[in-house]
Amino acid sequence: MSVANCSAFLEQLDQWMEGERSPAAVAHLRSCKACGNLIADLDSIRDTAPSLAATDPEPSERVWSALRAQLQDEGLIHAAHPGVSDILKRWLRGTFLVLPRPVLAGAYLAALIAVGFVLSGSNGLRNDSNLWMSRMQRSTQPLSASLETEEGAISSMADTNPVVTASLRKSLAAIDNDIALCEKSVREEPQNEFVRDYLYEAYQQKADLIAQVTEGDEGQ
Amino acid sequence: MSTSCNLSGSLSWKVAGVLVPGLLLLSALPASADKIQRHFKVDARPVVTVHNPNGTITVRAWTKSEVMLIATRATDQVEVDAEQSGNRVDINTRQVSDSASPESTRADYEISVPEDAELQIHDDSGGVNVSNVLGDMNVETIAADVDMADVAGYLTVKTVGGSFQCARCAGRLEVSSITGNFRLIDLRSTYVRAQTSEGNILFTGQFLPNSTYRLKNYNGVIEVRFSPEDSFDLSATSLKGKVHNEAKLVPPSHHHFLPRFGNGLFGSFNSGRAMVELSSFDGTINILKRN
Repeated sequence: MSVANCSAFLEQLDQWMEGERSPAAVAHLRSCKACGNLIADLDSIRDTAPSLAATDPEPSERVWSALRAQLQDEGLIHAAHPGVSDILKRWLRGTFLVLPRPVLAGAYLAALIAVGFVLSGSNGLRNDSNLWMSRMQRSTQPLSASLETEEGAISSMADTNPVVTASLRKSLAAIDNDIALCEKSVREEPQNEFVRDYLYEAYQQKADLIAQVTEGDEGQ
Repeated sequence: MSTSCNLSGSLSWKVAGVLVPGLLLLSALPASADKIQRHFKVDARPVVTVHNPNGTITVRAWTKSEVMLIATRATDQVEVDAEQSGNRVDINTRQVSDSASPESTRADYEISVPEDAELQIHDDSGGVNVSNVLGDMNVETIAADVDMADVAGYLTVKTVGGSFQCARCAGRLEVSSITGNFRLIDLRSTYVRAQTSEGNILFTGQFLPNSTYRLKNYNGVIEVRFSPEDSFDLSATSLKGKVHNEAKLVPPSHHHFLPRFGNGLFGSFNSGRAMVELSSFDGTINILKRN
């Protein structure tokens, strides 16, 4: 099967994660940073999973709903089209079976971010600023909402070590500042893939930090 | 086998054989005990894990086939658990009371290990110092600074706000932080990936052939110092900031792959045997001659 674009590659995502890798998919991955990042994130989640203990494995339906809605919005899911979200859901669910909740929080957000990044670069809309803006907002709004919910963990964190708490809060503020700067730049240059890359990476960092905080807090 | 003992006493374990099965639990500290010394016989490539939420961790290599722990605890509000399982030694600080103040739960560790030891260190606040250890190591901190010297192996360091310094490090280095600064001094690493959001990154070292050096931040200064003998392909991009360069670069032959946004600098220095990628969102990138 020819893999000419990201959508075609995503159709083969299930096979890819099972180890069936067509030359066309391999070739696409070499040339597509977005899909490369997605695979790297999924590989990272899979590699981390075996070393972690099982606790509360099931990701919330909210996550799947957000993924599905996002994919449908982008037109990647159709009745006759293999459901990319179902592939991701099935694969990630298997992974999440051995992930504790704090790690899971970071992991599913990372997956969401990775998907968002793929979607933002897959439709060849490079010359249409309005469409880029629209796609960017659709990609980041669910992430932002999820992260705001999780962010309460830092506010409610037990203040057992003021040095640690201060460092976490300072870092969270720094990331929020980065996100704000990147979003401003995205509004100014919606087609700039590098700015979008920085924005998604900032969200990734925020997700990782929040996961780290919740993990530490539960460990106390 | 599991054994508990009073830490103020002196007890040494010597078990013949390649592996040393057994478990040494060090707990139930007397109130007066504030300094602890323990020895664990180990084989080649032992694994040493240290989990210390608050305090300094100093690890040095020595020539003995054993791990020595000297722990100093601030009060009896914390206990130090050290146990050996096969060729692995786990050291853990345990808080006795939930209401104890941070000052009273501090524990400082001095640990001597064989030079091929693998280290896994977690320290929220305080500081981590590692020197002359050649095994792989993973260090995670929140506010604690990490200082390494003369180490090698596969090094992964992750901090939230702590700074990182590595002097004369070799092997493979991956370091990330959010607000921490990095100082990579006289490195001889074959792979370096360093990323911090709001920190500065300083790199002085050899750009080894067929090696990769990726330094990235959002804000702050990325400074790389090169010598005339170095050979590298350079990609330096700051989307909103500036790029200052003292290297005479040969422009790349394929311009159509170059980014169209930001302030970028691309080219080869000498024959381009190493790959150097510097990227920042709105920080400053300096590529300067080494004195």
